[in-house]
Amino acid sequence: MKSAPFVMHQAHSQSNILDLLDQYGEDARVIAGGQTLVPVLAMRVASPDHLIDINQVKELKNFGITGDSLQVGAGVRQSELEHWSELRKTQPLLSMMFPWIAHTPIRNRGTVCGSIAHADPSAELVLGLAVLEGSVTLASKKKKRVVQAKDFFLGALQTSRQSNEFIEAVQFPIRGPHAGFGFAEYGYRHGDFAVVAVAVIKEDDAWTIGFGGIDDVVRIYKCTAISLDQVKQFIDELAAETEVREDPTATSGLRRHLMRTLGARACQQAMEFKSD
Amino acid sequence: MKIQQVKLTLNGVEREGACESRTTLLDFIRHDLGSTGTHAGCEHGVCGACTVELDGQIVRSCLMFACQADGAKVTTVEAIAKSGEMSDLQNAFKKHHALQCGFCTSGFLLSAEDLLKKNPHPSELEVREGLSGNLCRCTGYVGIVEAVLEVAAARARQNGGEHA
Repeated sequence: MKSAPFVMHQAHSQSNILDLLDQYGEDARVIAGGQTLVPVLAMRVASPDHLIDINQVKELKNFGITGDSLQVGAGVRQSELEHWSELRKTQPLLSMMFPWIAHTPIRNRGTVCGSIAHADPSAELVLGLAVLEGSVTLASKKKKRVVQAKDFFLGALQTSRQSNEFIEAVQFPIRGPHAGFGFAEYGYRHGDFAVVAVAVIKEDDAWTIGFGGIDDVVRIYKCTAISLDQVKQFIDELAAETEVREDPTATSGLRRHLMRTLGARACQQAMEFKSD
Repeated sequence: MKIQQVKLTLNGVEREGACESRTTLLDFIRHDLGSTGTHAGCEHGVCGACTVELDGQIVRSCLMFACQADGAKVTTVEAIAKSGEMSDLQNAFKKHHALQCGFCTSGFLLSAEDLLKKNPHPSELEVREGLSGNLCRCTGYVGIVEAVLEVAAARARQNGGEHA
């Protein structure tokens, strides 16, 4: 369980990161919290020749409201955002999700952007970014581009990031004051990856329902419903008709069952949601 | 192979060593600095045996590289009590049989202290959730949870807290 040898570059500024990525591209990985990357290296699933450590780059440690979004820089730890006093007011959905993300020591080190970069379809923040219809700011030496979540997540652990780009920040759009939110998850232990996770946003009669863990990417569905029964019926039909992943941790039948039960629970939460 | 100089404060003492980039903080503390209280369990972030405090926050020392901790303050289980003595939490672990083989214990002690620092009056459920990042294969957790709850109550009494 030891990583293969690599050269560690301690980046001191954003332009330094971009220069290093331009130089090493495919052979380099950016490391921030490393809570996913280090196990991947230890198990030698990946063995890049170069790691670019961005922990010392101060300009990436900012988060806050930019325009109509909560923007989170690449160096922001999950626990920093989790304990931000404005989170519950600004992004209620994320504040509901944080306690479910791994464990305290992991959130103390892991970054928000790192979780997005890893693109695990069972990860809470990936579900959050997808259901809020957020975006990812990718920077390379030549240009900067903003990619919508639906175009960023291509599959399990697959994204549209190019090898000379890094995730500078992610943007979580802020919904109106009358929006309701719900979140429910099932995993085998507290802090494990979700077998199924559901995030719900309700704006008047318009519902957005996102499911993590059922496919290679987060699946987002929209419907109009005037009552809880109506939206539950919509989810029941979805669970019956949708192609759902089957793997050694859970049969597709269990996942369909969880879509229905967790979906109903999250919708009820969204119905009863009161903003701070 | 690039050798890196790493200087950090371990339990209040400035320490220095040289290691490869790929050396984890865990291996650096154990092999290079010789402090073996922190245990190497799964080495991929699942078991929590390697939990240490880095600049005041608990982290998995197997999930970062020593060169990333250059200049940091690291606290390990060795600093929990004076040498030859035991802290209240350690005594409670002993009393409640909260360990059998003891491999996971250093991680549990660090996680439990962090939990009590943030939440001095935890419920049983909060203790279980707070320690869910640490695995114990001997005790079934009952003794560990009892020990943490007893220390929480005892500290509250000592501080004249209304929750005692």
